[in-house]
Amino acid sequence: MRKKLFAASALLVAATLTLSACGSGDDSDQSVADVSVESGSDKAATVLDQPFEKPDLVLTDTQGKPYDFRAETKGRPTLIYFGYTNCPDVCPLTMSNIAVAKKQLSKADQDKLRIVFVTTDPERDTPAALGKWLKGIDPQVVGLTGDFATIQAGARTLGISIEPTSKDKNGKTISMHGTQVIAFSPKTDGGYVLYGEDATVDDYTKDLPKIIKGQNP
Amino acid sequence: MRRLPLVTATVLAGALALTACGSSDSGSDDGGSGLSVGSAYMPQPVSDTMAAGFLVITNKGAAGDVLTRVTSEVAGEVTVHKTVGQTMEEAKSLDIPAHGELVLQSGGDHLMFEQLKRKPLEGQKVSVQLYFAKTSPITVEMPVKSATYNPKTGH
Repeated sequence: MRKKLFAASALLVAATLTLSACGSGDDSDQSVADVSVESGSDKAATVLDQPFEKPDLVLTDTQGKPYDFRAETKGRPTLIYFGYTNCPDVCPLTMSNIAVAKKQLSKADQDKLRIVFVTTDPERDTPAALGKWLKGIDPQVVGLTGDFATIQAGARTLGISIEPTSKDKNGKTISMHGTQVIAFSPKTDGGYVLYGEDATVDDYTKDLPKIIKGQNP
Repeated sequence: MRRLPLVTATVLAGALALTACGSSDSGSDDGGSGLSVGSAYMPQPVSDTMAAGFLVITNKGAAGDVLTRVTSEVAGEVTVHKTVGQTMEEAKSLDIPAHGELVLQSGGDHLMFEQLKRKPLEGQKVSVQLYFAKTSPITVEMPVKSATYNPKTGH
């Protein structure tokens, strides 16, 4: 289906399957051995039996300052997504869905939540470019850029495979975004819930209060 | 909603049509070529540089056609993008099979508007011209929806 995407783990196979191009959600929600999905539901969330460790990502934020992902998000409910700002469809939709859902939390919960957008296209997504784009979505979102190899390695530990930005035969720039949002628990700091591209505002609105508490959505 | 003009049907069909990959209940009858356009919308873009647009072209005719070019008053350039895995590729043209449809939907293929002349805002309409190999051009008044608009739920 896609070229050698998920080197990491069989867990991710389930996530991939729900993300096929025409993912209508009607027929693609079967759970796979390693993944707990409540039976009979078409929930967007996939709760992992074996959570991911937080990636060791030290990158640059939209202010141009170093940002240590593990240190800054320790003990915080955290969502991470890998994408790029020149992406017209999936990246802004994913981030806007999360941002709109977040606004429905209490102020206190909004302040607890960390939403981190890591660019997959650091060449074009400078701190300033990221900052401008994220301001159009939610200024509280942390935008990170930096060395592509570091970003790629961090993404890989979460089972997300990205390739560097390249040019196609017509000279058009092609970048790649991640396929899912990962939620980390404030209790364990483990990445324990996956959301695919089909996750809606309503899904996040329903689930975020639980993620804030480290509960299973 | 059989005989509604294209524009109105476009808006109404938006709520109903994009249920899944192959649903074919969208669009209106244009009473001629066999091609009709439905389920058109543009999510309000984040930036003033680029936007995406979605629609479904239904072909009730017995002959296939090809979407060859797209233009819009709001953009210096409109291209059709095919989503291939996690990347997008510009498509030169897209087939609309006989008795079939071409579905441009979020997460899949889409129109990409670049060099925006203004930032389209929710509630506005964007005029889009579709050019085909055989059929005469069709103009679609594409409604701008919220950034998080989901055609499956209609909000």
